[in-house]
Amino acid sequence: MGGSIALGAGLAVSIAGLGGGVGMGVAGGKAIEAIARQPEVGGDVRTLMFITFAFIETLTIYGLLIAFMLVGKM
Amino acid sequence: MIFGMWDSVLFHLGPIPVDHLVVTQWCIVVILALVAYSATRDMQLVPRGLQNAFEAAVVWTYDFFTQLMDKEHIAKKYAPLLSTFFLFILFSNYSGLIPGAAHIPGFQPPTSNWNVTIVLAVITVFAVHIAGFQEHGLGYMNHFLSPNPAMLPLNLLEEITHPLSLTLRLFGNIFGEEMIIAYMLFLVPFLVPFALMALSVLLAFIQAIVFTILSASYIATATGDDH
Repeated sequence: MGGSIALGAGLAVSIAGLGGGVGMGVAGGKAIEAIARQPEVGGDVRTLMFITFAFIETLTIYGLLIAFMLVGKM
Repeated sequence: MIFGMWDSVLFHLGPIPVDHLVVTQWCIVVILALVAYSATRDMQLVPRGLQNAFEAAVVWTYDFFTQLMDKEHIAKKYAPLLSTFFLFILFSNYSGLIPGAAHIPGFQPPTSNWNVTIVLAVITVFAVHIAGFQEHGLGYMNHFLSPNPAMLPLNLLEEITHPLSLTLRLFGNIFGEEMIIAYMLFLVPFLVPFALMALSVLLAFIQAIVFTILSASYIATATGDDH
C-alpha cells in the first residue's frame, strides 16, 4: 500500500511537471521571439508572459499538492 | 499536523484560538503600518527621504494599474487594495526566509497555509463583484450570460475556479518551496539549500506580483465594457 502511494505521488508531480514544462517552454520561447522582433512591446509581453506562466504553473502545482496529500497519507 | 500546518495554538482570545500564523500576520501588519506612518507623519510639499520613496511608489503603482486595467478611475480606486495585497504577500513570503522557518514549529510563512490565502482570494472576489456592480449597475448580470445564455454554467463555474486557483497557486508555491527547502536541509545540511533559498527569494516576489496582477485583471474584466 505504501509503495503504490509513493509511486502515485511521484507520478502525480512528474506528469504534471512534464506538461507544465512543455507548455512553459513554448510560451516563454514565443514571448522571447516576440520581444526580439519588437523590443518596444517588451513590457506588455513580459507582463502577459508572467500571467500565462502563472496559469500554466497552477496546473503543475495541483499535481504537487496531490503528491503532498498522498505523502501525508503514507 | 494537518496537511501543511503545525497545530501550535499560542493562546486563546476568548473562544478564538490564536496560533503562530496569526501572530506572524499581526507582526507583518504592524511593521507595514509603522513604516507607512513614519513616512507620512509630517508630510512636506517638497518630499525627501522616505516620503519621497513612498510618493514615487504610489505614482508608479497608479501608472502600472492604469496601464493594466485601461480605466483610470477604476485603477485609482483599486490600486491601494492591490498594492496592499502585494506588500502583505511579499512580506509573508519573505518571512519564510527567517532562519528556522519551515522546520521549527512556530516559524512558518503565513501564505504557506491555505486558510490565509483563501481569505485573500475571497477579498478579491468581493472586490471584483462590488467593482462590477458599481461600474455597470444591474447590467453587470449580463456578464454571466455572455457571449450567450448557454454559457451560464461555465461562467458560474469560473466564479468558483478563479478564487480557488488564486488560493492554491499562492499556497502551493510557498508551501511546496518551504517543504523542498526543509527536505533539502534534511538530506544535505550545508550549502545546497542555500541555492534553493536564493531561488525562493525570486519566487516569492514573482508570486506576490502574480497574485496582484491576476486580481487586477479580474477586476478589469468585471468592469470592462465588452463582455
